[in-house]
Amino acid sequence: MKALSISPRLAIAAGLVALFVAIPLVYIFIRAFGADTESWQRLLQTRIWKLLGNTLLLVVAVTSGTLVTGVSMAWLTERTDLPGRKIFRWMLVMPLAIPAYIGGIVYLALLRPRGGYIPQVLENIFGQSVFTPSPLGFFGAAFILTLFTYPYVYLLSGAAFRSLHASLEEAARTFGRTTFQTLFQVTLPALRPGLAAGALLVALDILAEYGTVALLRYETFSSAIFVQLSGRYDRSAASVLSGILVTLAILILWSELRLQGQARFTQMESNWRPAPLTLLGKWRFPAFLLVMGVISASLIIPVAVLVVWSIQAFLDSQSLTTIFHTGSQGFGSYVWNSLWSSGLAALIAVLFSLPVALLAVRYPNRFSRFISRFCQVGYAIPGVVIALSLVLFVNRTLPFLYATPFVIVIAYVLRHMPQAIRASESALNQLSPSLEEASRTLGRTSLQTLFQVTLPLILPGLLAGGSLVFITSLKELPATLLLRPPGFDTLAVRVWVWAGEGFYLQAAPAALLLVLISALPLSFLLRREKIFR
Amino acid sequence: MTTLEVRNLVKQFHGSQQSAVNDISFELSDGEILAVVGPSGCGKTTTLRLIAGLERPDSGVIRLNNHVVAAESVFIPPEKRGVGMVFQDHALFPHLTVYENVAFGLRGKKTSEVRTIVGDMLHLVGLLQFSKRYPHALSGGERQRVALARALAPHPVLILMDEPFSSLDADLRTEVREHVRSILKSRQATVVFVTHDQDEALYMGDRLAVLQKGHLEQIGTPQEIFHDSNTRFVAEFMGDSDFLKGKVVPGGIQTEIGLLNQVVELPISTPVEIAIRADDIDFQIDGSGNSLIVERFFRGAFNLYRLRLDSGQILHAFTDHTQILPVGARVRAYIHVEHSLTVFSE
Repeated sequence: MKALSISPRLAIAAGLVALFVAIPLVYIFIRAFGADTESWQRLLQTRIWKLLGNTLLLVVAVTSGTLVTGVSMAWLTERTDLPGRKIFRWMLVMPLAIPAYIGGIVYLALLRPRGGYIPQVLENIFGQSVFTPSPLGFFGAAFILTLFTYPYVYLLSGAAFRSLHASLEEAARTFGRTTFQTLFQVTLPALRPGLAAGALLVALDILAEYGTVALLRYETFSSAIFVQLSGRYDRSAASVLSGILVTLAILILWSELRLQGQARFTQMESNWRPAPLTLLGKWRFPAFLLVMGVISASLIIPVAVLVVWSIQAFLDSQSLTTIFHTGSQGFGSYVWNSLWSSGLAALIAVLFSLPVALLAVRYPNRFSRFISRFCQVGYAIPGVVIALSLVLFVNRTLPFLYATPFVIVIAYVLRHMPQAIRASESALNQLSPSLEEASRTLGRTSLQTLFQVTLPLILPGLLAGGSLVFITSLKELPATLLLRPPGFDTLAVRVWVWAGEGFYLQAAPAALLLVLISALPLSFLLRREKIFR
Repeated sequence: MTTLEVRNLVKQFHGSQQSAVNDISFELSDGEILAVVGPSGCGKTTTLRLIAGLERPDSGVIRLNNHVVAAESVFIPPEKRGVGMVFQDHALFPHLTVYENVAFGLRGKKTSEVRTIVGDMLHLVGLLQFSKRYPHALSGGERQRVALARALAPHPVLILMDEPFSSLDADLRTEVREHVRSILKSRQATVVFVTHDQDEALYMGDRLAVLQKGHLEQIGTPQEIFHDSNTRFVAEFMGDSDFLKGKVVPGGIQTEIGLLNQVVELPISTPVEIAIRADDIDFQIDGSGNSLIVERFFRGAFNLYRLRLDSGQILHAFTDHTQILPVGARVRAYIHVEHSLTVFSE
């Protein structure tokens, strides 16, 4: 790549975005490592090692779980003659529209050791209590989080399976490898960088997860910080814990960014042709059942339960009035709050991502690469930590913003902008620079070129990035809970509060609507891929 | 009149040891087509981009119609230079129709005027009926011609073409380049044409400039470049030359396959190399000859033979297609030329 001299305007704009992104990071590290030694010692002696163990255990378990589930589902739907694989491709991705804590709520209501639906039904039938697996604790949390995060890995590995050269596997076959030897000795190793990058993104997601682990009473760094912030209100302890969590997350993000660079070689080449399908033979039916099992657990059961509860809620006049009228607020205002805060965050994130992506793609050098990577640090800062740093920062420097919904929007932008940056970069990467150069030689300035050529052509990519930010902001729970001004309720907040109080029927319509609103942009995203059309 | 003047142009990219363009100077007159040719990485595209204003030179001066557009303290951006460029990948705007693509460079003109110019341009390249189509609905050759029409439409002082035919199929390429050359000539356009294909350069250029590693090796008419190469590199790059070793003797150059009757201004017994092509060598079957047929290649109209001299030197020679000689036969090869050959002292 030839390095052009960087445009100063662009560099300044990207630098400002980087400064904005630096706020929570710098604040957390100042507070964490500036905390008095007493806080550190107290935490080191009591909490930290337990929390670290819990957190890492969950991260490792869920990451492995999603890898196994995601890759095997992708292999079955992309590379075998599995019946119904076209529909399965859609259904295997759709759990992305269900926030994990909503899945957790459903399974908790179904399987709770005392008072869960299934244990009760079984007790009525058999006249005595029957053992059922509990969704609480480590195993429950690992199970639920795997169910609702494996689609990330599924999407990445599906794309990787599709883009891999058929000749690579054919070469292995000519050297005497069987189908399965080829899969494990050639195909999967070749896809490794891409899969590892996907797994690390899942790991970051789990580090940041609050709702599910709090619900299922499994303590991790995120939930401990949340308790310190909301209950005990010990900002010093929260800062120390956040400092450790963010350091851990940055290490993971750093490896992920390094792997991103290596993942290139799986890209499609011009003489690409699809690999022949593996015939499952007598394994067709078991494989079909396996995929059906995954889809039932992650999509059909939660959605069906939410639908049944919603119907019950609408039939019950008391819960109906509560849904549509809690205090002075109605259902409409939750929906509206969710939509505008997430929509605004998506818009700002896309706008901010533009200078960063333009700089990184059009002027590749050390400086621009650093800016681009640094601006993705939001991946490594969990919602609770963003909330903590914004509470501290806004209180001190921008008091007029304190306790306004705009702080929430800022939190969404900080946390989810990396997705917009990646989408913008990939859109720009697919746009030949010669188009912009042609526009210059035909008499347009660089700014006119941006508006008349670059932006119209990368618009679909920008929309995709915006959709991702929108979906993830919509379900963002901890930052919203901690930063919201009194009376500012979103769908996610209402679902959480009602379910926490045990009013599942009331929570169901809001949860169902949240899922539906997320499913729309998600299907837009999927339709961009040829395979989902 | 001189349209383009390039003086001592230098450009080095960050992180690269070597200059991409190293002290290149040349001039181009009105209506002339200059074909810049060289192997990949020789700096030909960078030279083009420097002239277009898409790169900033480290030093040197570029003048267009006697106006300085790039110098020590001057840098006119591409949009103000008035050059038209045809890109390797055509760079047609996919969100605009053929008509809108051609009209893109005509901003500020009256609508009626734009319509006339675009109509003329599309007529010129024979694509008038496609004006409402989008680029993706065109064939490679059609896209190529739209790109040319778009570059010509604003009536630029200079047209730059960066390997414009390289994305076309081989059989289409010959057809398109004839068409393009006649369009350029009919418009009396001044053109810098970059290619890595010697054949294309010889065909397209009124003059040729051969570049290697950022240096301008030679500039001249196609005949000069082909038959009177300045450097061994040019001889090697422009035509499939073999280099026959020899020694200067009174009255010519003594080689392994006989005396070349060509006087050179070098001291007696200087070791030299003669650039010699397959059409400069003849041979006959001769059991006590000086070389061996190693391989025969059928080339349609003729046969090309690879000969190995007793010293191990490899030479190539033609015979017409009716005569087929067996591989392994011993032959006598000799120089048979009616023009002077290029000689390099070692």
